[in-house]
Amino acid sequence: MELFTNLALGFSVALSFQNLFYCFMGVILGTLIGVLPGIGPVATIAMLLPVTFTLNPTSALIMLAGIYYGAQYGGSTTAILVNLPGESASVVTCIDGYQMARKGRAGAALGVSALGSFFAGCVATIVIALFAPPLAEVALKFGPAEYFSLMVLGLIAATVLASGSLVKAIAMVILGLLLGLVGTDVNSGVARFAFGVSELSDGIGFVSVAMGVFGFAEIINNLEQKGSREVFTKKVTGLLPTWQDIKDCTPSVLRGTALGCFLGILPGGGALLASFAAYTLEKKVSKNSAMFGKGAIQGVAAPESANNAGAQTSFIPLLTLGIPSNPVMALMIGAMMIQGIAPGPQVMTERPQLFWGMIASMWLGNLMLVVLNLPLIGMWIKLLTIPYRMLYPAILLFCCVGVYSLSNSPFDVMQTAVFGIVGYIWVKLECEPAPLILGFILGPLMEENLRRAMLLSRGDPLVFFQRPISLTMLLIAAFLLLIVVAPAVRKKRDEAFVEA
Amino acid sequence: MKITNGKDFWAGLMFMAFGLGFMIVANNYAMGTAVRMGPAYFPTVLGGMLAVLGAAIFFRAFVSKMAHPLVVFPFRLWFVVGGLVLGVIAYYTQVPRDGGTVAKVAHELLAGVAIGLLFAAFGPRALWVILVSVVVFGYMLKPLGLVIAAGLLVFGSAWGGHEFKTKEVTILFVLLATFSVYAFVKGLGLPMNIWPGILE
Repeated sequence: MELFTNLALGFSVALSFQNLFYCFMGVILGTLIGVLPGIGPVATIAMLLPVTFTLNPTSALIMLAGIYYGAQYGGSTTAILVNLPGESASVVTCIDGYQMARKGRAGAALGVSALGSFFAGCVATIVIALFAPPLAEVALKFGPAEYFSLMVLGLIAATVLASGSLVKAIAMVILGLLLGLVGTDVNSGVARFAFGVSELSDGIGFVSVAMGVFGFAEIINNLEQKGSREVFTKKVTGLLPTWQDIKDCTPSVLRGTALGCFLGILPGGGALLASFAAYTLEKKVSKNSAMFGKGAIQGVAAPESANNAGAQTSFIPLLTLGIPSNPVMALMIGAMMIQGIAPGPQVMTERPQLFWGMIASMWLGNLMLVVLNLPLIGMWIKLLTIPYRMLYPAILLFCCVGVYSLSNSPFDVMQTAVFGIVGYIWVKLECEPAPLILGFILGPLMEENLRRAMLLSRGDPLVFFQRPISLTMLLIAAFLLLIVVAPAVRKKRDEAFVEA
Repeated sequence: MKITNGKDFWAGLMFMAFGLGFMIVANNYAMGTAVRMGPAYFPTVLGGMLAVLGAAIFFRAFVSKMAHPLVVFPFRLWFVVGGLVLGVIAYYTQVPRDGGTVAKVAHELLAGVAIGLLFAAFGPRALWVILVSVVVFGYMLKPLGLVIAAGLLVFGSAWGGHEFKTKEVTILFVLLATFSVYAFVKGLGLPMNIWPGILE
């Protein structure tokens, strides 16, 4: 079996002392920022990108991946104990998790979410190992036309799955594509939209956009809404779920994991969408749906398994197609590029150590996370007692040091501050920034593939419809748009986002 | 005609401005043909699409069922005007490379005030206080060193929040400065000076 030799290779890489250490660092950091409300994986990974310059590519990616799935574990702790999502994907966990905590069952909720996440993480690792290689093989046959259509599909899917107005989401994608084009055009050497600023001729810094829009704007919004929080910091006991709990949860965990794995692979998917969908599904199919919202253990188990599964399987489009499905994956592309690796299907064949090492590290990371989260839960709870007014100056300082060290120039810090303002305005105008980030990273790639496809077809735009794979993807994109515009689905979609 | 949805109104205007702006600037570059696209081709097409979508959102503001007031967040027009005027003055009074130190510092202060005014034009106090602290940190890191720049950022941003307790913030600053020096400069070896350049 090729799979086993590959996995063996992966484990031999992941079990090296250095990689174990960085995996551990990643999951610790991930849990930390997951627990702390007001800072998410996007800002953290953006902050750490400059640090990864000095690491070897495998260790760097192992650590950054650990932050993302680690945050899914940490986020649930805050959701259950404080009724605040420590991380955006645990928004729905608040609903039933906090109610369980109020009934004195915080321990069971924490235990179930950690064990459910672990199970989901194990399944998702196997799913990646099984499905990534065949997908990469298909992707190797892609020409520029297929890549262009794939990106169209990815961007459309990202807007369809985003909450809020569809037209605004599409406008944000296009704005992102345009911002991504700022800088020197590779074909002609013209510095586009740089206005004579030499720093801009290298393009707008991706880290600046991500950190400004997700990090700074988030802090300012948090400061704007004052709210008191009630923290259950009293001793949390009974972490191990009872036999009855396990019997109640097993089907929910299975459903959540399956849904999460599937939604993670979709372009535009990932942890956030998976947790929402799993909660909605669970409420529909569960026998005691009346208990939902009042502390149903299924309402914690399903979304928590789903968000971890989704976080991990969203690496599949990244590793096989080189297409990011959410802002975190867009940052991972940035990290790969810093290391001189072009993301795409060739990564698997050219750098098997990196690919399989990362997959193996995910399983090891999940194991570490269960250990970190269950016995050491008390330590994380202590962190929650730190008031936000002490936290945000620290977050700001780390962000600023990170941005500054990208190129050791104050220009990047300035740029980030500008995107902080812009991000604040976007939030106020209900324009979701996530689609913009995807457009931003795909802008240059999309232009390049469009140019190549048109050159090969001698200017015939029909090429996108004549090649079967390309046509299929465009049809799926059109279909997605159509079903969202259809009134019935529209209503459902609004409900699904409102419920949370 | 009455604007019912203020958020759509402003968002539509913003998208139209961005779309048209990109199209107008792209006009300076070569368009090329569909077979050999020039640097202006893709941005012009995208800019056009964005402007059309912006127009759709803009007109939706008049028929939308969702009601939002026109004032979405605090906005101070005079700050924008002042910032732009100072910015233009700063642009045309640039000090040559061999100019005097006093003139250079004065010019940089002028530019700084212009930028600060533009930042202060939007949103609540927390927004501009924090972002100005961030910019100050960026520009002061090299001349003043990590410790003092971190102090400016920590005190500045803490002052932007709701509660400011001097003792608490001082402790926070000492902890953060120590941590940054050991973790970033000594540990990770980031090239930053710890104290002002003159002292080292």
